[in-house]
Amino acid sequence: MQFLSPGQIVVRSFVQLWPVWASLAVVFGLSVVYRRKLGLFGQVVESATGFAGLLLVLFWLFAAVFGRRIELFDPLSQIARMQNTAPGAIDPHSGLPYLFGGDKLARDVFGRVIAGARIVLIIAPLATMLALSVGISLGLPAGYFGRRVDAVLSFLANLVLAFPIILLFYLLVSPGILETPIPYTLAGVFFAVPIVLFGVLFVSGYRTQPTQLALRLALTLLVGAWLFATFVFNADPFGILKVSPSTLNIFIAVALASGPGIFRIVRSLTLDIKTREYVLAAQTRGESAWYIMLWEILPNARGPLIVDACLRIGYTTILLGALGYFGLGMPPESPDWGTMIKESSPFMRIFWHPALAPALAMMSFVLGLNLLADAIREQSLRD
Amino acid sequence: MIKETLKNGFWRKSLGAWAAEAREGSIDRREFLALATIFGASTATAYGMLGLAVPTPAHADETPRKGGVLRVGMFVKDQKDPRSYDWPEMGNVARQFLDSLVTYTREYTFEPALLEKWDVNADATEYVLHVRPGVTWNNGDAFTADDVVFNINRWCDQSVAGNSMAARMAALIDPATKKAREGAITKVDDHTVKLSLKKPDITIIPGMTDYPGLVVHRDFEKDGKDLVKHPIGTGAFELVSFEVGKKAAFKRRTNGKWWGGESHLDGVEFIDYGPDISATVSAFESNELDCTMKTDAGYVAIMDKAGLIRSDVRTSATIVARTNVKQKPYDDQRVRNALQMAVDNATILSLGVDGHGTVAENFHVAPIHPEYAELPKKSRDIAGAKKLMTEAGQIDHEHELITSDEEWYKNTGDAIAAQLREAGFKVKRTVLPGSTFWNDWTKYPYSMTDWNMRPLGVQVLALAYRTGEAWNETAYSNPEFDAKLEKALAMPDPKDRKVIMKDLEQILQDSGIIIQPYWLTLYNHRTAAVMNYGMHPLYETHLERVWLKA
Amino acid sequence: MGSFLARRLGQMLLTMLFLTLGVFYLVNLEPNLRKLAISQTEMHATDQELESWLQKNGYRKPFLVRYATWLGLWPKLPNVDPATGAATARFSWCDEPAAPKFSGVVEGDFGCSTKFKVRVVEKLGPALEATGLLMFWVMVVMIPVALVVGVVSGMREGSRTDRTLSVISIATTSTPEYVSGVVLTIIFATWLGWLNGSAASATEGHLSFYNFTLPVVTVSIYGMGYVARMTRASMIEVMSAQYIRTARLKGLSFTAIVLKHALRNALIAPFTVIMLLFPWLLTGVVIVEVMFRYQGFGQTLVDAAGNNDIDLLLACSIVSVALVLATQLISDVGYAWLNPRIRVH
Repeated sequence: MQFLSPGQIVVRSFVQLWPVWASLAVVFGLSVVYRRKLGLFGQVVESATGFAGLLLVLFWLFAAVFGRRIELFDPLSQIARMQNTAPGAIDPHSGLPYLFGGDKLARDVFGRVIAGARIVLIIAPLATMLALSVGISLGLPAGYFGRRVDAVLSFLANLVLAFPIILLFYLLVSPGILETPIPYTLAGVFFAVPIVLFGVLFVSGYRTQPTQLALRLALTLLVGAWLFATFVFNADPFGILKVSPSTLNIFIAVALASGPGIFRIVRSLTLDIKTREYVLAAQTRGESAWYIMLWEILPNARGPLIVDACLRIGYTTILLGALGYFGLGMPPESPDWGTMIKESSPFMRIFWHPALAPALAMMSFVLGLNLLADAIREQSLRD
Repeated sequence: MIKETLKNGFWRKSLGAWAAEAREGSIDRREFLALATIFGASTATAYGMLGLAVPTPAHADETPRKGGVLRVGMFVKDQKDPRSYDWPEMGNVARQFLDSLVTYTREYTFEPALLEKWDVNADATEYVLHVRPGVTWNNGDAFTADDVVFNINRWCDQSVAGNSMAARMAALIDPATKKAREGAITKVDDHTVKLSLKKPDITIIPGMTDYPGLVVHRDFEKDGKDLVKHPIGTGAFELVSFEVGKKAAFKRRTNGKWWGGESHLDGVEFIDYGPDISATVSAFESNELDCTMKTDAGYVAIMDKAGLIRSDVRTSATIVARTNVKQKPYDDQRVRNALQMAVDNATILSLGVDGHGTVAENFHVAPIHPEYAELPKKSRDIAGAKKLMTEAGQIDHEHELITSDEEWYKNTGDAIAAQLREAGFKVKRTVLPGSTFWNDWTKYPYSMTDWNMRPLGVQVLALAYRTGEAWNETAYSNPEFDAKLEKALAMPDPKDRKVIMKDLEQILQDSGIIIQPYWLTLYNHRTAAVMNYGMHPLYETHLERVWLKA
Repeated sequence: MGSFLARRLGQMLLTMLFLTLGVFYLVNLEPNLRKLAISQTEMHATDQELESWLQKNGYRKPFLVRYATWLGLWPKLPNVDPATGAATARFSWCDEPAAPKFSGVVEGDFGCSTKFKVRVVEKLGPALEATGLLMFWVMVVMIPVALVVGVVSGMREGSRTDRTLSVISIATTSTPEYVSGVVLTIIFATWLGWLNGSAASATEGHLSFYNFTLPVVTVSIYGMGYVARMTRASMIEVMSAQYIRTARLKGLSFTAIVLKHALRNALIAPFTVIMLLFPWLLTGVVIVEVMFRYQGFGQTLVDAAGNNDIDLLLACSIVSVALVLATQLISDVGYAWLNPRIRVH
């Protein structure tokens, strides 16, 4: 079997990724040209951290978008003779290389990493946002009102935190359970939370500006209805996304696994910020409780929350693989990074490349998100 | 010698004739050995009839050293009543202090253990078992015909949930009472037991070798069926401690000698290192283990690379992707055949288990089975598969292939799925945790099941593909197949049997109910200090003769 | 203070009651009972056989009766042979009574593990001890490093030190522990031979630097990045607050400001996160436990759930509630100490 040299692998990968480079060039070119008009975004791009962060995030975004053009092989197809081949091996039949080598089932690791971006970039941020909104919606009132409200909400959160979720995972995959309304009911509740949260956010913030309020509420309802239809009922009116019951289980699992932790963080930050002068001032002004929570406390708690969310996107990706242990979520052949890493890490002693490639992909994506978040924070505080 | 072992004239004559044919080559040598030993010839006798010496294991010339504790990496599963064992690991713990009546060897022959010998009548309906004299239990009791009668009666008790021996002893059972038939098991004298079968069955002796067939003391039921609390056995070792998921420790038998002599090892420990191969490799690196009980196909390369010595054995253990013919669309034979045609078994072998095995041909009788008959080889035909599936009107059907989550199950399933997709079929893969998978294993429309080796081909056919059998997961029912199988179980002349087997295999292959990609080769690994230790085709660990180099 | 603790204790008991009731409901769903029956009879057992086993062992009695039996408010009944009327203990391996007897949680009997074939306490005790040791050492290694990294980063936001530490933190925490675990094992156990990649001997009571470092480090570097980043984020918020700026204008030394004023206020979020690490270490590090063959609580829980080991699962839930509520209590007391104006009820 013939192999490309390391140099050739780099060049060939670079060439193969041309749609990504082209798109990146356009984005950065435009943002340099129009940086003065772009405000915060322009400043972020100009800072080294922001540039690096944006580069990494956009790289994976464009890789996901142009995935089908970039892949040399279908991510699921197997070419038996390419089993466990080293990076750069050339398939003698098609003459095309497995740039990052082949995995234990003779699939193209390069193509799978690219295809994985399509799955990860949709599921991980969305599931994290879902968990985040559940945690915020419950954590704010628990910390702000205290007493009874806190007792009840903390009781619920602790119940979930102490619950042997593994038992639920096993149950969710038991034949017969998927057909019952349990997953849909759970998902229905979880997906309703962000809609309500944004509703309350806008109602409390734009009470005096009816047009603005109507506009924002309409948008919330529209997006919310679409998410609800797509994820809970698997009836995307635009036909963009298909959500099987097993994918739905991922969202339930992430919300249950991450929700209580976020709840506690939000609650603690609220307890702390509630004692600040500006909150007391707002209370004296006679602002409504929800206004104070959402417009005074939440913005001041955003630092740790954003950091948490950015890292949690990584954890959610890892969870995609871990859930596979329970047969939950992704099938074993799925090219999402979490499953790829989980499936190939036991074999790292003999073949390192099938695990390393997705691990680096995930690390770079999470790194990009964090650097970008850091840069946005720094630039927004500069004036 | 032949005369001595084979009192029955019929078998002496038949075996003599077969031996001649085997020497000429018209019967397979392995076939002869297995059959001769089923009918009571010792391994040495059987080889002798072929004019050969029994093959000696490597290093047999070295004098074994006495002493040392062997540490074996193996899952330590919870113990239960032996007749309901469902994992070889359970049997291997008990096997250190229990014996079976007959054992199956690495050379694919049957050897008497707690039996000294047995005689079979001409139509395989009457078996006379001669109990080995001089065997004692480690509590001092003598092992007698009463123990044998007690155990076989236990095996025949169909009313006990999970008693898998009942299926193997079916020829002794009265379906009305769900117990052994009146007069089926008779004690002739203290060292002789007679079995009278209601119909001919050559699988009785092979059935006794399986791990649920370990022989327990006659007070086992009285003692609360708890082997851990009352580890009374006839074996070479005694149980010292037992902790599920951790460790089972044994020492050389102290009170009363083992009938086979004395073990070389001072003791044995089975240590559970869990499912992560990394833990097992680390254990070898830090000198916490001497050998593994088995090494799964996917991990052989890792263990090889860790510098361990591997032992392998060809088996008829296998995995099948089976359809359930009662569920749509698999009630249509064209759909089933299309699935078969779309898959190249050799590719599945190389991807599913890294080529650690031999290609199988979708009829569940292996070349190493004594009754294997060769059928014309089939090759993959994508175009034909597509055509057939389109004809059946199911080209758009999404097949859901369900497997358990074990590494080689998963990989084999994924490889089959990829092949089916290549043929233009839609496939969805679902993986379930082992414990959940078995909840409904016979009911899935399309799923994969593994089958351990059984010494005879007809054994699995009878368990898995006969009408109405509890383990018939395909729901396949074919009166012609059942009738022919009945004949094969009754053991006609070898030449007729070849014809019947050929028909059976052909019927099964044509029915399309299974894609059976490969026969597994089984492996285990050991360090250089472990001597006389090899992989057994039924995953059994026999450690009485194993020794450790200083 | 007394009423505060009493209220918290009441909360804990209530949570335990609700949780065990919920868990009891789930483990008694039909697929789960079936799973239990399979594990206790035979993998390929028929429906009839499974049903007869469940009948015989009392799993078909009314739900609440069985829950009350487990609690100890209803007598535990032995198996009675319908033919002979003879009573035998249900599970011989853990000396269950052969006569009706009140023997449940209230009486201190946590029941019988069907998977491990011992009394629940016998299995859970060692597992908890093992996990406790892992928690202790992980906290000892991880928390100081994480806090120092976080504070140093946050003190000087945007500096080269900050960027370097941030990138390292993000990289370690976004690498799954089953990758870093294998890599560390290959380097330190296989190549260098300095450390033992198997912690089996550590569970046997021979804990040492040689056999325990790899699991502790693997868990620590995975969790470290998260705590460090959270600390950094809080630190930055505080450093940009008005009173710190004022203090700096007053000419106080930077170190003094950080230690005296900033740190305490910046610790609320990291403290919460550290307290959340305890439940995570209790049940969330199964993969590391399995990889290093360290038999802790997480593995026990997974085995219990996988085999629907009812009594063991319920006992695990109780432990879990106790830990979760203890961490909440410590958090709440801690908040009041870190910011005296916080009042928790």
